[in-house]
Amino acid sequence: MTPPARKPAPSPPLWRQAFDAAERAVAPRAEDLVRSEYFALATALVRRAQTVAGESVQGLSARVWHLVNLPAGSDITRLRTQIGSLDREVRRLTLQLESERRRASTTPPAPTTSTTTEDSDADRAQPADGARPRPARRRAQRPARP
Amino acid sequence: MLDRVRRDVERNALRARNGIKLVAGVDRPGVGQTPKDVVWQRGRTQLWHYRNDPETYAGVRYGPPLLIVFSLISKSYILDLTPGNSFVEQLLKAGFDVYLLDWGEPDERDAENRLEDYADDYIPAGIDRILELSGADEVNLFGYCFGGNLALLYAAHHPDAPLRSLTVLATPVDFRHMGPLADIFSVGGMDVRSVLGSDGNVPPSVVVQGFRSLTPTAEVTRYVTLWERLWNDEYVASYQAMTGWSDDHVPFPGAAAQETADMLVRNNGMLTDRLTVGGDPVHLADIQVPFLTVRANRDHIVPPDATSPLIDLVGSPDKHELCLDAGHMGLVVGRTAAKTTVPTIIDFVRRRSDALPDDAQEA
Repeated sequence: MTPPARKPAPSPPLWRQAFDAAERAVAPRAEDLVRSEYFALATALVRRAQTVAGESVQGLSARVWHLVNLPAGSDITRLRTQIGSLDREVRRLTLQLESERRRASTTPPAPTTSTTTEDSDADRAQPADGARPRPARRRAQRPARP
Repeated sequence: MLDRVRRDVERNALRARNGIKLVAGVDRPGVGQTPKDVVWQRGRTQLWHYRNDPETYAGVRYGPPLLIVFSLISKSYILDLTPGNSFVEQLLKAGFDVYLLDWGEPDERDAENRLEDYADDYIPAGIDRILELSGADEVNLFGYCFGGNLALLYAAHHPDAPLRSLTVLATPVDFRHMGPLADIFSVGGMDVRSVLGSDGNVPPSVVVQGFRSLTPTAEVTRYVTLWERLWNDEYVASYQAMTGWSDDHVPFPGAAAQETADMLVRNNGMLTDRLTVGGDPVHLADIQVPFLTVRANRDHIVPPDATSPLIDLVGSPDKHELCLDAGHMGLVVGRTAAKTTVPTIIDFVRRRSDALPDDAQEA
């Protein structure tokens, strides 16, 4: 028994066919344009011009505000940047501290033995070669399974 | 003829109804609905643990846990778009314990964040927390888009990382092929500082404009297709969810953006092996864990030429590549994702995971 023939999908309306034809003609050209070196250079240039213009206006308005002893937008931006830097430093330190704490808590404590006075003194001694205990390291990345 | 007129009248009535709904913004599909808990937080960054109750997700459980590292410039709900069209949901159904590192919405406090903050601090801290919570001694790491780059930097800079496997999706390594987004920095010589907002980050509007410039006519085509299919409720719901996400970006931390432009775009560091994290040189060849890279051959955001060299750069003896006939988002949402991408990833990770005993599953 042969399966029933699938009903063909209805063709799109005429206006859509016209749009698709126009899109097929325009899209590759538009994509070539935005992927060209000239477009990249022009975008960068326009952006640079905008930045220069923005900075000039900002500098002028900052001078006006400073004349009347008030902080300008650029001062606030500078403060926000400084707060951001400080916040990042604190966050990184907190994360590193947490990580060290976790590592310390997962490291097994040194075995305790009955000690004599001589042993107690020896416990505090440093090895002659200057070697110090290293923080515990995790085991290496697991190699591929056979 | 009469049938056609009747159909057109009905469709126009539906178009009017759905058009009003779209404009009014009502009846939007809920996104990111899979239940989850925040199990760790630092700054704007959160570690989410998706609930995998045995009543909802029965069957064999696999370990170690799976950690997803998301991109820095978009929102992570694309991986959990809508119920039934969710990458995370599929991973949970497959028996994995899923965690996701969400970077939140960066503000001026994140402007100084560099790539090392993510590769050396946040990802290791997130993994530590997962190991603490799950009792496992390793994780399966998974990176999506730019999150894949962060995962690669982490794995390369920490050869002793507790990783069972590494999977990256749509992750670029040859930035010469990234199109106008990269060209304006490499060819045009544009300085990232010229696009920074007052908070020191690259504003989401700039990111959206950058993506739109990749396909200049797509915006018009999008509206034309919407008009044509506005009568179809299913299409409208999917349109709202997808376009909602593609227009919904987050600021890109300024210092990380600067580093990306210098190291990854201008120096093409991933391909030319000129990567540094926190001042240390790192090499992708140092990655030795089982590795899978997934790329899409119709991806207009991260073109195939930008992702294809990755497989040869990683040093893992057990490495695989999967190239799919899909677009950038089609890798994680929609039919291709559900039928091909996710099952292949699940199969790859499952083969490198352990079936957990029943008592561990109950725990």
